[in-house]
Formats: sequence, structure tokens, C-alpha cells
Amino acid sequence: MKILVVDDSKLARLTLIKTLKEHEPSADIIEAENGDIAVELYKAKSPCVVFLDLTMPVMDGYEALKLIMEINPRAQVVVVSADIQMQAQALVLALGAKLMVPKPINSDKMLAVLQQLVF
Amino acid sequence: MQNNEFSSDHLDVLKELMNIAMGNATANIADLLQAFGTMHIPHLQISDVDGLKNYIKMTISSEDEYYVTKQLFGGKIGGEFIFLVNKESAINLGNYLYDTVKVSDADIMDAVIELTNILSSTTIGRLTDELNTKVQFFAPYTEVVSGDPLISEEETLNYHKIIIISTVLEFQKHKISGQIFILSRDEMIISLRELIDQKLEELYS
Repeated sequence: MKILVVDDSKLARLTLIKTLKEHEPSADIIEAENGDIAVELYKAKSPCVVFLDLTMPVMDGYEALKLIMEINPRAQVVVVSADIQMQAQALVLALGAKLMVPKPINSDKMLAVLQQLVF
Repeated sequence: MQNNEFSSDHLDVLKELMNIAMGNATANIADLLQAFGTMHIPHLQISDVDGLKNYIKMTISSEDEYYVTKQLFGGKIGGEFIFLVNKESAINLGNYLYDTVKVSDADIMDAVIELTNILSSTTIGRLTDELNTKVQFFAPYTEVVSGDPLISEEETLNYHKIIIISTVLEFQKHKISGQIFILSRDEMIISLRELIDQKLEELYS
């Protein structure tokens, strides 16, 4: 199972991957540090799930989400963001994100997310 | 090691924790203003006093008038939280919170202090939660600064090695935007590094 983890922070990627591996130890993780790289990796590797941060340099998560949904309207994108405003959540869900989870992600949150995804 | 004993890993951790803290603060202010706020990526820099002065010069117009609210905090980590809004934003904030079109100077001050209180307690509170520590807040005060330095010569005596954390908070609907600076004192750098090391140890364990 290929999973793309997108965040400009190494710590955030590390935390997310650690919690992900607790539940899906065999997951094949691909990492990207901004939206631009994420879109390119999505095209090249077709991961089954994308964990996507919003506030990033070069290309933010909103733009990356839009482009990923254009590539694959059935893409499973989980937005993991510190921006916990209701309107941010409404916007990413309208753009096609499957879920939005507030940072920092932990084991319980990850389990709840994985239970809602289709593998 | 680089950047005055802070490695790139320390800076990355601090930046991510600030991102989380600012996200919480933006959401709280969004509730208060009933509007969507734009989050900007926090800027982090370790500097000396001259570096701080140059950074302030680069980011703040010396021709504008600003409401500057400062709040000290102390504990295992200590420093100063500074929130800066230009006059137009401060008036818009006062008008909105007091539901009027001609807010008094005293009410503008009150609105700016209230906003700063929410911002500082949420931001610093969340940062300290993430680092498993706590701080004590001191009463904030606001002054109107016009073309003057944000930090007076007297105040710079308190700082030698400084962590500058700055970001912009923007609520376009109400035409309110402000800048946040968090300045740390010398001893905070050592404490902060220890707390971040503990955090990293937990993560790698």
C-alpha cells in the first residue's frame, strides 16, 4: 500500500509516519515537502492515500489538493493541518478531501482516519 | 550544530510547533471575528540585537502608526510576545468588536489588548503544552508607536541572543491584519533546546 505524506516540516512527517506505521507497518511511504513535489509524485506513483498539510511554501495544500483531485477525482486525500478553522475545513472538504484532521496527529486519530479509508 | 547552538532539526521542530500553535490562535480569533483568517508560515530566525533591529526595519514601515501590545511571559521558557497592528486595522477591529462605526481611542486599545491576550495565551500556551512545560503571563500593555523603533534601546539591553518568531495574521473580511513577534531571551534558547531534545527523544524512541 503506497501512502504519500506531504508536509514541509520533517518533524510533522516523522510524527505522521510513526503513527501510521503503528497501524500499517507494511505501508510503503513516499514523502514530499511541498505541494508541487506532492502533485508530481502523485502523478508518478499513484498512491492510494495522501496525507496533506495546508500551510507550505512553493505550493500550499489547497492548490495541491485541487490539482490532485483533477488528476484523480476519486483520490483519497486526508488533510492534516494546524489550521483548525471551520471555514478551512469546509473549503478542503468542498475541494474533495476525504477528511481533515487537526495537528498534531496521534495514534488514536490515525486509527480513526484509517478506519474511514478504502484500501 | 549551527545557528547559535540550534541545529536545523531544532529549528524545524520549533517551526512546526509554532505552526500548530498559530493554527489554534487563528481559529480562536476567527471565532471572535466570525471570519476566516489566513495563516502564514511562521518565520524563525536566531539573531543578535542588530539582527533584530534590521529585521524589524525590513518588516515594518517606519511611516505608519502602529498599536503595539507587549506581554512578557516567564517560566522554563521566557520572553516577550508582541502584537503589532497598524492604525487602520486597529480601528477596524474596534469598530467590529464594539459594533460601531466610530470607536473611541480607549475602546480601540481595549480591543487590541483583548485580541493580544487571546493570541498570546493560545500561541504560547499551545507551544508550552507541546513541550510539556508551562509559563506565567504578565499583564500586557499597549502603546501607539509612530515611526519609532518597536524595541527601545533600553529594552534591547535585555536581549543578546534572540529567537525571533514572526508571522502575519490576516482577516480580509474586516480588513484587519497584524504581525506577531515572539522574542526570547538568552536563557530561553538553552531551555528550549533541552525541551526540543526531549521531544525528539520521545519521537525517536
